Order: sequence, then structure tokens, then C-alpha cells
Amino acid sequence: MKGRRWRLAGYGMGGALVAAGLGGLLVDARLTDPLGWALWSGGLIAVAAVMVAARLRTRPAERARVLYGAGAGLAGGLLVGSVQAYHGMLGHPGPAAFAAHAVLLGAVLGFVAGERAEDLATAFSCGILTGLLDWAVWQLTLRPLLAGRLPTWALASADEQFGALVGDVLLGGTAGVLLYCALALRRRAPAGPAPAQAPLPRVVIVGGGFGGVGTARRLDRLAARGLRADVTLISDTNALLFTPMLAGVASSALEPRHVSAPVRAALTHTSFLHGHVDRIDTAGRLVHVTTADEGMASVRYDHLVLAVGSVPYFFDLPGLAEHAFPLKTVGDATRLRNHVLGALERADLEPAARTRAEFLTFVVAGGGFAGTELVAELSDLVYGVLRHYPNVRESEPRFVLVHTGERILPELPAELGAYAQERLARRGVEFRLNVAVAEARAGAVRLGDGTVIPARTLAWTAGNRPHPLTAALSGGGRLTVDPFLRVDGVEGVWAIGDCAGIPGPDGRPYPPTAQHALREGRAVAGNVAAAITGGRPAEFRFRGIGVLVALGHRTGVAEIRGRRVTGLPAWLLWRGVYLAKLPGWEKKLRVLADWTIDLVFSRDIALTPSPPRAARHPEAGHE
Amino acid sequence: MSEMGIADRARRGAVPGAVAGLAGGVVFGGVMAEIGFLPTVAAIVRTDVIPLAFAVHMLFAAIIGAGFGLLVVHQRARVEELLFWGLVYGMLWWFLGPLTLLPILLGRPVAWDLAGGRELLPSLIGHLVYGAVTAAAFAWLRRPAGSRPRIRPAAPVRGLAAGALTAAVLVFGLGVMTGVPPYRLFVYGVVLGLGYPLLFGDRPEGTGPALIRGVAYGFAWWILVALTFPTLLTTGTLDWSLEGVRNAVPELPGLVLLGAGTAAGTTWLAAAGQALFEDDIRRLHRVSFGPGRLRAAGYGLAGGLAGGVVFALVLAPSGLLPTVARLAGGRTALTGLWVHLVIAMAVGVSYGVFFRNRSFDLASGLGWGVCYGFLWWILGGLTLAPVLLGGAPLWTAAGLTASFPVLVGHLAYGAVLGAVCGRLEQRVSPWWLTRGQAEQERRTALREQTLGSAPALWTFVLLIALTVPLLIAR
Repeated sequence: MKGRRWRLAGYGMGGALVAAGLGGLLVDARLTDPLGWALWSGGLIAVAAVMVAARLRTRPAERARVLYGAGAGLAGGLLVGSVQAYHGMLGHPGPAAFAAHAVLLGAVLGFVAGERAEDLATAFSCGILTGLLDWAVWQLTLRPLLAGRLPTWALASADEQFGALVGDVLLGGTAGVLLYCALALRRRAPAGPAPAQAPLPRVVIVGGGFGGVGTARRLDRLAARGLRADVTLISDTNALLFTPMLAGVASSALEPRHVSAPVRAALTHTSFLHGHVDRIDTAGRLVHVTTADEGMASVRYDHLVLAVGSVPYFFDLPGLAEHAFPLKTVGDATRLRNHVLGALERADLEPAARTRAEFLTFVVAGGGFAGTELVAELSDLVYGVLRHYPNVRESEPRFVLVHTGERILPELPAELGAYAQERLARRGVEFRLNVAVAEARAGAVRLGDGTVIPARTLAWTAGNRPHPLTAALSGGGRLTVDPFLRVDGVEGVWAIGDCAGIPGPDGRPYPPTAQHALREGRAVAGNVAAAITGGRPAEFRFRGIGVLVALGHRTGVAEIRGRRVTGLPAWLLWRGVYLAKLPGWEKKLRVLADWTIDLVFSRDIALTPSPPRAARHPEAGHE
Repeated sequence: MSEMGIADRARRGAVPGAVAGLAGGVVFGGVMAEIGFLPTVAAIVRTDVIPLAFAVHMLFAAIIGAGFGLLVVHQRARVEELLFWGLVYGMLWWFLGPLTLLPILLGRPVAWDLAGGRELLPSLIGHLVYGAVTAAAFAWLRRPAGSRPRIRPAAPVRGLAAGALTAAVLVFGLGVMTGVPPYRLFVYGVVLGLGYPLLFGDRPEGTGPALIRGVAYGFAWWILVALTFPTLLTTGTLDWSLEGVRNAVPELPGLVLLGAGTAAGTTWLAAAGQALFEDDIRRLHRVSFGPGRLRAAGYGLAGGLAGGVVFALVLAPSGLLPTVARLAGGRTALTGLWVHLVIAMAVGVSYGVFFRNRSFDLASGLGWGVCYGFLWWILGGLTLAPVLLGGAPLWTAAGLTASFPVLVGHLAYGAVLGAVCGRLEQRVSPWWLTRGQAEQERRTALREQTLGSAPALWTFVLLIALTVPLLIAR
């Protein structure tokens, strides 16, 4: 940390010099005083010097090459300088300055090309290259400046400059060859025992959703900047599912693959393990993973970040586990799409009115973001493709949104919720408020007030619970974490996302949304890095940017930092924001292509093989 | 790196080097006889007998050739790689030989003055010829047993098409700019285009390295077609004097651009051919350990901004920012700074894409960067900017001299651009490699680059960039 403070102080000083120089140049419009220019360039040199010093501090091999380079520069300088001195060419500022300049040239050569200098030709060539650059920097720039003149780089005194150029080329070439010789002699010297390398701290992230991938990507960046840690991301899906677009998949507007970004492609320094975490041994600091082929594996950790999200919860209501369609995974969305299209196929053939009503009634449980967007999208899908089913009349499909609250979209201001409800009602969506789903059967959904709705489609967005993996640590609910995202009472374990109750400034937990999970991921990565390097962790603080809800065809509602937007602008905003947030340009282009095609053609009604209903809920990676 | 004993180094390096040096010496001797330099060599051994001077010259040639052999004994023994090492070595010996050791041997003071340098201009070109011939002969002597040059028939066709296309663009562009289309560039384009693949083969290299190789290739052709052939064919003599060089300068930027365009075009056509006709996916999707194109473009943008800021250090004291502002219809230095930074970032993006995964350490970043800066000095500083400001391209000796501060700025810009991009690229490594493996991959790539001609190419381009304007300055 001390080194970091010095480095920051150096950058600050250099930056101040640059700013002062720029200010001087702006004031000195006629550019007659070299001071402003000197401060500016001096600031840049100071920043570069601090960067080099910081790098050399932790790299003894590079430090040695710089020292050898300085020695080679001095020897080369003595050789070339003696010729110049003998023939009276070593004028101002004298032999000492020339020797110092030669040492600096050699040191720069060692720093820039020391690694290549194990090859004679390259050392020679890079020496000349350094000499030439030195001529431009030292002879043409710094010398006039030191003499109190403004450098102009003009070839006005070409004669003097040519002599210096010859000297620098010969000095550089000689220093390059001497550096090669010095490094060759060093290589031949018997090497001492290699110092034992301390094992790298192991960071394990469980969960491939927004939180987990956000953590991994941030740690990637920190690793690129020098953080020494072995980071592994474990997830039972190898792609980050962009959940805000899941309703689009269920309504056949988007291809399933297009809303999933491969995790491997997003990571550079972090390794990825495709597997299912069965158990966490916090005492032994082990994560037990089941992989597809290799069976069980144990992964040791020093720091464990849990970002396993939540799983659908049916509150043990009868029939829901068998008949309801959750919407958490791509598989869920594909199953729901196929079920809806299959119901239309059956309804087209079905003569009995009661059975037709069952097939053509679509109940969505939950009036939050997911449920509201889903009922709107299902309505778009069914009415959009109805012309392909000539035996189904437009008046037959029925959409029912069941919600336990007084109004839908409780996270939004009442005015926006009312707007959404009014727009959906105009499209024929029925709202059953202040009531919950009580039971699901093969052809009917019973509500808490005893009403029975004949329906074969029940989409469930009304309940989630923390992932079972966290139950052992939390005792059943969300994991309790402190503002630094550390799990209470468990050393070395951190938690973020839906599975963690992260206290906000007012003591209430942050909402389980993607925008929060991403920021929590970045914050926890910084805190883990701080724990590794002995730094100070930072509290997680984030104020939500806003909320966007798409209400199907060309309409939506949004609240951004208190500003309310409705209708087409909100819908465009939704598409623009989420397209921008979708990871990877390839996926953005594919989704954009899907949306563009959707403007011209009707939605695809081809039935695809449905993935089987999951035997167990996904236990990692979906938020 | 394979360690080699002294005897082995002498057998594989010094001996063939000496023989190759003799070959170079024969050609250089002919040149020296033509330019009347042999009596000076004779003076070293206090004689005026020309055959004896030639023998002394051949002795020097053999010794210097042996030095070349020792220098490049580890390099890949191919003409296309060793050629640039030979050019750098020959040029270095111009600084060391006629400018330094010769006066000492003749008992005269070493001056390193411009007048002496200009007088020795023919010798400089002779040294370049010596280096090139020595390198070619050394590569031939050290060629692997049973190896034959493999040139596919499509390669010269590609080169021809690239050369002709580049020439067409240049002829059209210069015709619009000056009103006098230089149709001779068509002939040069055809010859350069045919020669490029024959000399450098079917190289699977990126656009950036090809551009820089093309710059050096174009310079070599300038020596041939602008400096040598005209007087050799008309009067049967060589005119490599200062005036001869100054008179040939108007051809230099065009041939450098033609060389760069031909090389890049050949590479692009090869890549397009591969994309269309290659059926083995492994050849199309080579494993890359660096950033993708988009990210590399971003790095180029950042590097371009940093380089542009440093370039502004040169433009501001030189009073050139208001001139830059005129490119966008402005007048003030502040407007000039904005315009300059936008151009710097745009060029930086092209660098990021063209030189992606070519920088493995600071030296390679600096090397590619300064060479790219030099190319943009010719394309932007000498050609496009003067025309956009309402004038004509500065393709004259006076123009090159006057534009020297801008050259320094371009080189500084390129150096910072290359260093920043190289540093940013090094932050990216694939996760499936451990740190140790990634470092090993980087070292292997660096070693491959070192065995090739890249370091020599950077040095040679920078040598000509700084030396030629200085020598021809009025």
C-alpha cells in the first residue's frame, strides 16, 4: 500500500506539472517562454518515470537488465566519447554530462530491449534504435530546453545535429553489443537456487449470473493490472443468461441462444469450471463440484464469492410443481413457448368449447416486472400468429394476470402501474388483484377466493427463494452479509446478488435486480482484492438508476432517476438500454437482427424440442 | 536461445559471413571504382595502386562480412529476413567506416560534420548495397540443405494486382491533387508488385508489419529506379551525389507509399483468397493470444489520444496548431488541438487493428509505432495535409527539410501510440493459460519475432527517416 501511495503521489505530481504546463502554454499564446512547454513535457516524463520505477520495484530481473544496460551505456559512452573528446567534438555541456547521458541511454536500452538483448543482432539493432530516439529526445529537445531555448526541431543547425546523430548511432550500437556481452556473461555464471514461489491466493466464484460474471470480469481487470490471484468461476451453465430478455424468448420474438453470452468468451485471466456445486465445506475451505464426466471434484479456496441467485418457489401449493411454468432459464422460456404454440395447435382442432377455452386461456401468476412483461409478450405472440390458426377466433384467447397486491408493478409509482394496467386491459388482459393462485390442475387454475379458471397454461413469476446451496450457511433464508459483502460469521466467504441480503444505507436490503447484482459483483471483487493485498475494503453503496418495463408491442413504462416515461419512448428506451447492456457485440447484433426481422415478419411458430422439466432447480447462476 | 560455442559460431557465422562479405565487396568495389573512391582506400596502405586498393577493400569486405555472419548467426537464414539486417549493418558501417575509422587510419581528424557526410553520400548508398548483397549471399550459403524457394503461381499475380491497384490510387490521387498524374507510377507499381512476393514470398503476416516492410521495400526501389537507373542508363555512370539525391527526392514519397500499399495489398489479397478458398478451418482461425479487433481498436484509440497529446508538444512550440485548425476551417490553436487529437485517435485506431498481437514488449511497441509514425508523416504530413490546406504535396528536398519538426512529432506520436497499445495488449491473456504459460507464450512469440527481421526493419526505417532529411537539408 505504501508503494501505491508513492505511485499515486508521483502520478499526481506529474499530472499537476502537465496541467501547469498546459495552463502556461494557453497564457503564453505567442509561445515565447519555454517554461510552459518544459513543465508539460516534464510532467509526462515524471509520470513515465514513476511508472517505470513502480514496475522495476517488483521485477528484479528487469531491474538487473536496467543496471547492466546502464553499465553498457557507460562503457559505450567512454569509447565513443573518447573519440569525440580526442577530436574536439565533445563541446557543451561537457564530458560528465555526456557520460551521464550515455548511462541513461544504456539504462533505457536495458529497460526497453533488455529481454531481447539475449540475441546479439537484436541487441545491436535495438541499441541503434535507442540511439536514434535518444538523438531526437536529447539532442533536439532537452538540450535546447536546458539551455533556456524553445526546441523547434528545425534543421537550422543541421551540421551540429548531424555530428550528434553519428555519435548517438555509434553509442547505441556499441551499448547494444556490450549489453549482449554482459548478459551472456551473466547467463554463464552459476545460478543460485531459485527462490520458492508462494502459492497464489485462490478465489472461487460460484454462479454464472450477473453477480458472478461481474465479479469475475472485475477480477480479470485487476489481474491485468497486477493482482496476483488464481481465480476460478464455477457455474452449471456456461453462458450468462440475459434475463431481462427471457420473456422475448418465451414469446418467440428472440432466439434462445441470442440472449445467452458464453462465459468463457468474456473472461481472460479467470479460469472457468462447468459443473454443479453440491456442497461447500467452509471449515476445510473446499467447494465440492460435480462435473458432467469427471464426477466429483473438490476446489480449494481462500476466498469464496457466492452469487448463486434464487430459485422459483411454489409455496408447496398443490399441483404447481407439476403444472406451472416458471421463467428462470432458457429451458423454461423455450418450454413455455412450445406449450403456448402447442395449445394453439390443439385448439385449432378441438371442437369442444370447454376444452378450447382451457387451451386458449393463459394465466400468469405475479404482477411484478417479470409477470407483467410476460403477459404482454404472450398476448403479442398469440394475437400475432392467430391468422395461422383459422379455426381460432380472435375473441377466444384469454389472458389473466393474478397478483396478490392491490396493483401491478408495485416497484413503480402508482401512476405508472395504473398506466400499464390500463394499456394491457385495453388489449384484453384480465387482472385478478388481491388474490393468489391456490392450486393448479391439468385443465384449471384455482384462485384463493375459490374462483376456478379453466386453463392449461399457468406461468409462474410469483415467488422465489434463495438457492438451496446457501441454506446450510444461512439457516434457510438469504445470507446475511455486512456492508462489505462478507457473510456474517464465516471467514473467507462473500455473497452477492439474490442470495444475499445486503443492507443499504437505510438498513433495508438492496432489491434483487440485475443492475444491483452487477455493481455488487464489482464491489466484491474490489474487496476480495483488497483482502489479498492487505488493502482496505469499501462498503457497497449504490443508488438504483431506474426501472424499465416493456409492455409488449411498442409500449412500455419507465422511471429513470425520478423521471417518468410512458408509451413508445419508454419502449424504445427499454430496447436501447437492454441492447446496450447485452454482453458482446455478436449478441447485440443477433438480437438487433431478431428485432428487425420481427418488424417485417410474423413470429416463428415452428415447434422445437422442449428441454425436459428440470429434476431439480438450477442451483447456480440465475438471478 | 541455443548457446553456441566460439568455434561453432565461427564455422556457422564468421566463415560464411566472410565469403558473403567478399560477394558484397565485389559489387561495392565496382561501385567504388565508379564513384572514384578506391584511391581513398589505397591511401590507407599508403599506395596509389588501384588493384592493391581493391585487394585491401576486399580484405575489409571479408572482415566486415565475417562480423555480419557473427551478428546474425542466430537469425533465420532467409533472404527476406536477412536483407534488412544487411541494410542496417551496411548503414552502421557507413557511420563507423568512412565517417570515423577512415579519417583515423588516414591520420586526419574525425569531424562528423554534415559537409563530410554529404560528400560521402555515394558511399552511404554503396554501403547499403554491400549490406544487401552480403546478406543475400550469407542467406544463400546458410540455406538449409535441400530447401527450395516455394512460390505459388498465385503469389506474383496477387503482388501484381496489389501493385497496379496501389499505383492506380496514387496516380488518380496525385492527378487530382497536382493536376499532373504521374503515370510512370503504373510501371513502378507493376515492377514492385511482381518483385514483392518473389522477394518476400507468401508471408502469413498482418497488415501492419507488411506496411512497414513495404516502406523499406519502396525505399530500396527508390535507390534503384530514381537514383541509379536514370543516370546509369543514360550516361553509364552512377550519380549518387548530393545533388543527384536531392533531384531524386520527389520520387521518394511516392515510391515509399507505393511499396507500403503494394505490401499491404498483397497481404489483403492473400487473406481474401484464403477466406474464400481455404477449406481447412484451422488455417483460417489461428489461435490468437491477444485482444480481438474491436478491443484492439479501442486500445488504438487510447494510444492515439496519448500519442496525440505528446505530438501536440511538438506542434505547439512550432506554432503549427493554427495551421492544423485550418483543416477543419478553424483558426485558433485550440481548434487545431481538437482537430489534431481527432486525427491522432483515428490513426491510432488503424494502428490498433493493423498491429494487433504484434507487440510483445516495449521494444516492439516502440519499433512498430515509430515506423507507423514515419509512414503517416509521408502520407499525412507531406501529402494529404498540404493538399487539404490548398497547396501541393511537399515532395521536394526543401519540403522534407521544412517538414522535419512534423516528422519528429510523428515519430514521438508513433512511439507513444505503440508503447501504450503494446502495454494494453499485454494485459489480455487467455484464461486457459496460467500466468506461467501465458508468459511462456509471450516469450515464444517474442523469440519468433526476434529471429525474423522485425528489429532490423524498425531500425532501418528510423535510420532512413532521420538521416535522409538531415543529409539533404539545404
